[in-house]
Amino acid sequence: MDARHIRNFSIIAHIDHGKSTLADRLLEITGTVAARKFAGHSQLLDSMDLEQEKGVTIKASAVQMHWQAADGEMYELNLIDTPGHVDFAYEVSRALAACEGAVLVVDATQGIEAQTLANLYLALENDLEIIPVVNKIDLATAQVQEVSAEIAELLGVPLEEVIPVSAKEGRNVAAVLQAVVDHVPPPDDPVDAPLRAMIFDSHYDPYKGVIAYVRMRGGQVNADTRLLMMATRARCDPVEVGIFTPEMTPVPQLTAGEVGYIATGLKTVREAHVGDTITSAKEPAPEPLPGYQPAKPMVFASLYPAEADDYPNLRDALEKLQLNDAALTFEPETSQALQFGFRCGFLGLFHMVIVQERLEREYGQNLVVTAPSVAYQVELNDGRTIEIHRPADLPDPTLIKEVREPWMKVQVITPTEYIGVLMEIFRRKRADFLMTETLDPKRVQLTFDVPLAEMVIDLHDRIKSATRGYASMDYAFDSYRPDDLVKVDILVNREPVDALAIIVHRDKAYEKGSLLIRKMKEAIPRQLFEVPIQAAVGGKIIARVNVKALRKDVLAKCYGGDVTRKRKLLEKQKAGKKRMKQLGNVIIPQDAFLAMLRLDEE
Amino acid sequence: MTFALYIHVPFCLRRCTYCDFNTYAGLLSLRPAYVQALLGELTLRAAQFPAPATSVYFGGGTPSLLPAADVRRLLDAVRDRQLLADGAEITLEANPGTVDLAALRGLRQAGVNRLSFGVQSAQDAELRMLGRIHTWDEAVQAVRQARRAGFTNLSLDLIFGLPGQTLAAWQDTLNRTLDLAPAHLSLYALSVEEGTPLAASIAEGTLPAPDPDLAAAMYELAGDALHRAGFWQYEISNWARGHTAAPEIWALPPGGLSENIGPVSRHNLSYWRNTPWLGLGAGAHSWLAGRRHANVLHPRDYIRLVQAGELPEATAEAISRRLEQGETMMMGLRLAEGVGAARFQARFGVSLAAVYGATLRRWQDWGLLHWDGDRARLTARGRLLGNQVFGAFLPDDEA
Ligand SMILES: Nc1nc2c(ncn2[C@@H]2O[C@H](COP(=O)(O)OP(=O)(O)O)[C@@H](O)[C@H]2O)c(=O)[nH]1
Ligand code: SF4
Repeated sequence: MDARHIRNFSIIAHIDHGKSTLADRLLEITGTVAARKFAGHSQLLDSMDLEQEKGVTIKASAVQMHWQAADGEMYELNLIDTPGHVDFAYEVSRALAACEGAVLVVDATQGIEAQTLANLYLALENDLEIIPVVNKIDLATAQVQEVSAEIAELLGVPLEEVIPVSAKEGRNVAAVLQAVVDHVPPPDDPVDAPLRAMIFDSHYDPYKGVIAYVRMRGGQVNADTRLLMMATRARCDPVEVGIFTPEMTPVPQLTAGEVGYIATGLKTVREAHVGDTITSAKEPAPEPLPGYQPAKPMVFASLYPAEADDYPNLRDALEKLQLNDAALTFEPETSQALQFGFRCGFLGLFHMVIVQERLEREYGQNLVVTAPSVAYQVELNDGRTIEIHRPADLPDPTLIKEVREPWMKVQVITPTEYIGVLMEIFRRKRADFLMTETLDPKRVQLTFDVPLAEMVIDLHDRIKSATRGYASMDYAFDSYRPDDLVKVDILVNREPVDALAIIVHRDKAYEKGSLLIRKMKEAIPRQLFEVPIQAAVGGKIIARVNVKALRKDVLAKCYGGDVTRKRKLLEKQKAGKKRMKQLGNVIIPQDAFLAMLRLDEE
Repeated sequence: MTFALYIHVPFCLRRCTYCDFNTYAGLLSLRPAYVQALLGELTLRAAQFPAPATSVYFGGGTPSLLPAADVRRLLDAVRDRQLLADGAEITLEANPGTVDLAALRGLRQAGVNRLSFGVQSAQDAELRMLGRIHTWDEAVQAVRQARRAGFTNLSLDLIFGLPGQTLAAWQDTLNRTLDLAPAHLSLYALSVEEGTPLAASIAEGTLPAPDPDLAAAMYELAGDALHRAGFWQYEISNWARGHTAAPEIWALPPGGLSENIGPVSRHNLSYWRNTPWLGLGAGAHSWLAGRRHANVLHPRDYIRLVQAGELPEATAEAISRRLEQGETMMMGLRLAEGVGAARFQARFGVSLAAVYGATLRRWQDWGLLHWDGDRARLTARGRLLGNQVFGAFLPDDEA
């Protein structure tokens, strides 16, 4: 198809505003997917949905549709899906970079929300043409006029340009397609240029290797072209090239302006990063496409199998997940008291939750996940800068010039009555308040800078519960900033326990340290001797509690009939001890210890 | 050879609030059939006696609910089969409030020569909380009548570590009990057993949970008081009036033998020394020839099986040599005499050091055990922490 008849676009929306439902309707009315196919599992684009992913090897985040527009001509419409969560802002931006336009969906009962704006700004950064849509007009509570006006004002377009639809009932969705054809510009990429294809997504296929989802930005590619990934320098001979109809359908070639896939035969998605440029190995393009960033985990947590025997299975599962998840990192870790596990890196908290859930649901892992921490940059006196992923790794204070932590820019859209509580929540999270913008008489957008370390604990839940779910939040990495950060070591019987170390602001060291040692005191059963538990900063004890020595542990009565019972009791106790963790001379039940690690805040 | 015979009497007038023993209230009408069944089981098991019994112990439940005539029939039946050794210690557990002078005389005449009274406390409020059927005055009364009936070997049971109990109240209970001049005392720390009314009261918060540190203090207080009063502690929960004064608390008995102290419970020594015993009655356990078995719990089932001419056994387990060694340690270390290396060697044909040397040294390092190569025994501190020590002697693979 000539480029004039191609449109590449995405749908962007705040969660639950109807992106998936609208996508389903579009696939239906273009005849791409028969209506009945939706009966069993609606929302085809959501195929990360676990069972679906296993059954079908497509991850239909880029579907080609064919549609006859009002002018009577057939158009090729490529609908590119974007990940649904803010942790994947970079992936979203790459998906948007593969498009010329975006359909902005806003729920007529909710109005503009935090991710509406965040996604819109990403789309505008990529110079996309915006097609505004107000959805769910079938609902009695829909405020079509008000919300349309809000959108029109936001975008600076006339009210009539906002298309009212009911994605659920399929009402007026053809108008959306017509607007895409009318307003989204056709691709304008040079065919007579070196091959440059931008990877905007990928998945691993056991037969064809890594399937790179690409937007052709120049030249053309076929299965005979030897390829080079410009950032990772990986080379490959592709197995095939093709398009998603939505099934993977091989085509002879892909040409500038088109969207499709290249089955690379590569063995891991880390060799074909999202954002990387695929070019010809023989005649490489002089420059890669702009915007590439290597995946950079910023949130770290340790994953331990609940049963030590499951360690090899956990490794297998992580390796399998990594095939499809370039952002996930892990390395083996041992610490006192815990046996073997992995220190894992995630893009953000939600990425972590997704990985955890997939490990549990798809791989049957029974996991213990420690409280997350963040990646700190440490500038040393000798001029080197190191990054640490584990509080215990923070070097001695005398070696450190400066510790920097990641800060996020956070936007919260909230009904005005919750401004007070939100301000208080953020203040306690060491946030800098930046500004308030009024969206409408009842709602404002608050902007803060917040240390990521404060966010990873429970910020999201707190906001949700404090505002009864009415506030929405969006965030993005802002910068690394220095602060007076110190490591609080927890010492049990005078030995530091690596896994319990935390990095906190000096002002909070005492408070957090005291809290941790009190919790630890509850977790440690009384031993044969008194056990001091201390919190220390830079070798100086700042707080201390004692677990008193056990005085009495003996069965009062033990006669003939008690022998078996008594023995069983002792045997049980003994078996329990095997699951106990030894910290020096101190014995701690594994469960209690792990519960400690998970803990945080009040 | 010592061989102990236990006879279980699973009846009580009312169940105490802390009790999780195999006993039943409201089944007194079963008594005749039950005694008949005991006689029946004796017949079935007579061949299992490795020797005449050197001790007989009527335990419960409340054995003093058996008419003296029944006790006599039972003892006669044993005697008639030549299964009762001369000079056997014959103990019966009695609850104050269930005995009168006539009954006590009857028991004495039947051959019972030792009584163990469940006194529990000298504070009536505590007795009520425990759901006991008697008052302190009735307990005093029962002890006096027992003396009049000719009993000299009297043992009294007390419980400490009760919800809300103070050190002063415990001291008072000890003083008043010592005034009764018993030959023997058993002092038990209350353990709150799941499913008992007491546990429920604590869970509901109507009663405070016992404080284990306070219970430890009471135990130590009792140890001092009884030592001053001329008692020897010969087991974790048991004291006997000494022929001589004990040199210290938790002293090694003269000649390393508990019997040399004074009127210890010879029957219970069999348990702690892990020598054979046979139990008759509902839920009774036996330990014979490398095998431990337990009878069915309910008296009705028990009666039915015996009437049908069947052994009323519910479970049995073979005890391996390793396990027997472990149990010998677990039980033996409860005694102040501990476990002697010579006796261990004679019994198992291997030395104590060879089997448990490393474990013994470890606990010695912790200060919970004395081990001099001839004998292993808990230290005074270790006797409060037995559970920490005993497990180490049990084989790993039999959990
Ligand atoms: N009544 C009504 N419900 C809708 C409409 N569009 C979507 N929904 C419902 O809104 C919820 C969220 O829709 P979904 O497409 O999953 O939102 P997404 O998170 O943006 O993909 C689902 O329960 C849909 O059935 C609509 O036009 N009308
Ligand atoms: S008298 Fe003894 S056996 Fe009977 S109910 Fe009370 S505690 Fe239990």
